[in-house]
Amino acid sequence: CFSVLVSCNEYQKALKSEDTKVKYELAQQYYDAGDFKRANRLFEQIIPKFRGKPQAERIVFFYANSYYQIKDYYTAAYQFDRFVKSHPKSEKLQEAAFLAAKSTFKLSPKYSIDQEETITAIQKLQAFINAYPSAKEIPEANDMVRQLRLKLDKKAFEIAKQYNTIRDYRSSITALDNFIVDHPGTPFKEEALYYKFDSAYRRAMNTYEYLKKTRLTEAREAYDDLKAFRPEGEFIKMADKLITDIDEELVDYQETK
Amino acid sequence: QEATFDNGKKYIIGGIEVKGVKSYNTQTVLTYTGLRKGEVITIPGERITEVINKLWKLELFSDIEFYLTDVQGETAFLELVIEELPTLSEVKFQGIKKQGKIDDIVKETDLKKGKKLTESFLTNTKNFIDNKYRKVGYLNVKTSLFTSIDTTATNAVNMIVNVDLGEKVKIGNINFEGNDVLSDGKLRKQMKNTKKKFFGRFWKKSKFIEDDYKEDLVSVVDKYKEKGYRDARIITDTVAFNKDENTLDVTIKVQEGDQYYFGDITYLGNSSYTNAQLNQVLGIKKGDVYNGVLLKKQIADDSKPDANDLTNLYQNSGYLFSSINPVEVSAENDTINFEVRIIEGKRAKFNKITVVGNDKTNDHVIYREIRTKPGALYRKDDVVRSVRELGQLGFFDPEQVSPNFKNPNPNDGTIDIEYGLVERGSSQIELQGGFGGGGFIGTLGLSFNNFAVKDLFKKEAYKPLPMGDGQTLSLRLQASQFFQTYSFSFSEPWLGGKQPVSFSTSLSRTTQFLFNQRTRRADKDRKFIISGITVGLAKVLQVPDDNFILSQSLSFQSYEFENYQTGLFNIGANGTANNLAYTVDLTRQALSGNLIFPLYGSKFSINAKFTLPYSLWNGVDYANLADQEEFQLKDANGNVLTDNAGIPLPDSEKIEQEKVNWLEFYKIKFKGDWYTRLVDKLVLKSSAEFAFLGAYNQDRGVIPFERFALGGDGLGQFNIGGTEAVGLRGYPNQSLNPIITDPVTGQQSNNDGATIYNKFSLELRYPLTLKPAASIYGLTFLEAGAAFNNFKDYNPFELQRSAGLGVRIFMPAFGLLGIDFGYGFDPLPGQTQRNGWETHFIIGQQF
Repeated sequence: CFSVLVSCNEYQKALKSEDTKVKYELAQQYYDAGDFKRANRLFEQIIPKFRGKPQAERIVFFYANSYYQIKDYYTAAYQFDRFVKSHPKSEKLQEAAFLAAKSTFKLSPKYSIDQEETITAIQKLQAFINAYPSAKEIPEANDMVRQLRLKLDKKAFEIAKQYNTIRDYRSSITALDNFIVDHPGTPFKEEALYYKFDSAYRRAMNTYEYLKKTRLTEAREAYDDLKAFRPEGEFIKMADKLITDIDEELVDYQETK
Repeated sequence: QEATFDNGKKYIIGGIEVKGVKSYNTQTVLTYTGLRKGEVITIPGERITEVINKLWKLELFSDIEFYLTDVQGETAFLELVIEELPTLSEVKFQGIKKQGKIDDIVKETDLKKGKKLTESFLTNTKNFIDNKYRKVGYLNVKTSLFTSIDTTATNAVNMIVNVDLGEKVKIGNINFEGNDVLSDGKLRKQMKNTKKKFFGRFWKKSKFIEDDYKEDLVSVVDKYKEKGYRDARIITDTVAFNKDENTLDVTIKVQEGDQYYFGDITYLGNSSYTNAQLNQVLGIKKGDVYNGVLLKKQIADDSKPDANDLTNLYQNSGYLFSSINPVEVSAENDTINFEVRIIEGKRAKFNKITVVGNDKTNDHVIYREIRTKPGALYRKDDVVRSVRELGQLGFFDPEQVSPNFKNPNPNDGTIDIEYGLVERGSSQIELQGGFGGGGFIGTLGLSFNNFAVKDLFKKEAYKPLPMGDGQTLSLRLQASQFFQTYSFSFSEPWLGGKQPVSFSTSLSRTTQFLFNQRTRRADKDRKFIISGITVGLAKVLQVPDDNFILSQSLSFQSYEFENYQTGLFNIGANGTANNLAYTVDLTRQALSGNLIFPLYGSKFSINAKFTLPYSLWNGVDYANLADQEEFQLKDANGNVLTDNAGIPLPDSEKIEQEKVNWLEFYKIKFKGDWYTRLVDKLVLKSSAEFAFLGAYNQDRGVIPFERFALGGDGLGQFNIGGTEAVGLRGYPNQSLNPIITDPVTGQQSNNDGATIYNKFSLELRYPLTLKPAASIYGLTFLEAGAAFNNFKDYNPFELQRSAGLGVRIFMPAFGLLGIDFGYGFDPLPGQTQRNGWETHFIIGQQF
């Protein structure tokens, strides 16, 4: 137990004290000194006493921010939202709205599980951007939205790509097609086009005779799409290795027609 | 002063006096009214009415009145007289004994301290309690509420709830009138919930419950409909209370009408299936007795999602948007002609497949199990199977796996499906202590069923453990004074992520200490250690069908003895044995119903385990080991000891050690189980099994490890040499091993286990309940089996027979528990008297 400002003893005493003023002052000291954990405990105790009073605005903001600082983003988001609702005229309104959205951003999990928080965070950040178009936090907010969108893109792409991994090429083609349509401007587009071609290639190579020509043509079209989108790059290089097989067989089928 | 509404007059309020307050502050009441001194109001007028209504709505007062006490010019003085509702202090129940029931009532009626006792609250409470008991058969119930003033608090009352349950009313007679075709008994049987009271029916309810009764009346009519009486109806039904007997007499008057038959059934709108195909699924022929219930069921059976009906025929081949309606087109006398009108619609394909609610489990673990794949033809069956299989993963609550159909598009012929999942805890910690084997045994087990090994070194993944890749990791430590076992196992269901090839590996080490007879303690210096490692792969085959599972494994075990001698192996106090073996197993399992109680189907498995034939190339002449100096007994100076005739004495320990240093064997096992449904849920399980352990080199001989031990409950026990316990009820555990006479000492024992056995059994099973919370079934069995020492002795007709009965209880929390009583008809090996009764306790499931 170590603190620059006050002895540990004083903190324990304040915790047990009945005197709101003592708690308030100490909480403020801890908050200013950056010991948000202790400040948070003390604010928590005094908040009910200040509800409806003019000091509440200040305290609730500190309280919410102390949660943010100790990385309890779930509660921080809730407390900032509450602050925004109950103090619509506050000077800190914009900052609180931003921190509420940023807390939700911090809650967004890794891409491979349920993305409910990610979607909420995008909505909240977007609402902030719309409400305060000239705020200084806008670049950061935009960046966060971009990160979250990228995460959703990655999720959808990995799911679609997995059908290629488990060798269900028909589903892979459908899922990648859906991905490309649903995620315009995604950085995964080139890769998605490649895997679509790869799936079409493998599907064409292992198909029934009577379907062969259609499948080969589909693979060729998938290649053309990739080539048109990005004529240079590592993916087209990989695709170039496969397309010769397709073209050779296509020639056979054109001739036998 | 009387004043009428029409000629209301404007006044300024000069003051309001509040009278009758008991527990409230006068000011509070005034604030509630919203009236202020100096306010201009019309008296009489809407404002006053409004205030009165507002006060009423608070539900705090039983009386509210305004009086005009004085008028001075334009100024009016008002008086508000209120009577506060009493508050409830304490409630006591009389007539109900169980505290749990009282708590329920208190909770449901909100009869708690501080409640304002309005007239309607009292009436509702009384009615609620009356109804609650009437519903369960106490038709004579009388509830009275008594209140008395609580002197310890202001304006509060204590309450006594007196519930006089009266005598329970049972059902006396159920009479039917107007029934010719179906007897009273048959009809009564249809009334599943409303039963007549009679001697012997004391363990089941015979209460009259209105809702159930209504349901039963429908069943009665349905029974007629099944028999072709489609006009049958209930004309009247009376329920009369018989005061003398304290019973209810039910009289039901039915009108049966005529019996009808199916006429022509034609189809309209079917293009993908022919009339003949549809007829086959429908299974109704012209001339069959008209059965509306069956017809409905064959077209769309609501009770079974995977029923073999017409709707599913279409739903399982892409016709998501199809609809099927049977229409009566004409009736000739007693024959009704039907037209089945089918709108096939466009064939649909699955488009977007999504999953929500997986807060822990990674997407790839889930999507690879889902059978509804983007671009595939819509099949309802795939949805049903996906839901079931997601539930079976064990990571999600099976009850809450919900497939949500989204964006159905009849024009494009597409449908999206979103699977809603709810994660559930899938890790287990086992910590237990118990007594067994002569001392305290402590067990610590940890198993993580949704582990993610790849996140093992990622700090942020520890919430609290890396999870979500569907891998299983378990650790188990078990120790007592006499032994210690450590084991670790890991499995990955999709090795490499491309195919469902499951990979598993396990490591284990067991140390057994010698029991010192003198000190009755473990002797830590004398022990033997078994260490093992197993690596296996298992795969569901696609050909010939996906009921086949092929598994292979490679295992290594080492046995080390340190100053430890056992009668089982004659390899000396410090011998070792190594067992490196390959196992391949092919199992086909196709069972219907749950695994606890399969209704029909079969399961076969063939299993082979073998080692390398070392003796082919290692150059050891096993037949003549005793002739070599190396394997002969020597004295301290290294001279060979001889017997009286001058023949060198063989060192039997050394010979045995040479034979088992690397175990050499092959083992073949076959097992088949057939489940046949005889009638209703009476199931016959027939099984046969056969296994054989052999040696490549007869001179080296069959190893003393890996043998079979026949007899008893067949539960896996701790066996030194990897002996497999095979159950045969009606005989003690492992009692049916063949007796071997030691060629040297001439001693007889059956410790070694058998190298060949066969076993046949017939078991009749009948379930008492198959609820998810507990499945219970009873069984009787006939069994026969025998174990032999080698193929020469093998005789499939020389069997030890037994018969008996038992019961099994399966509860998810405890697993399978059971008890069997078996009678052995034959004597144990080496004895002459039949074995007689044996009791077996069964713990754990044997698949």
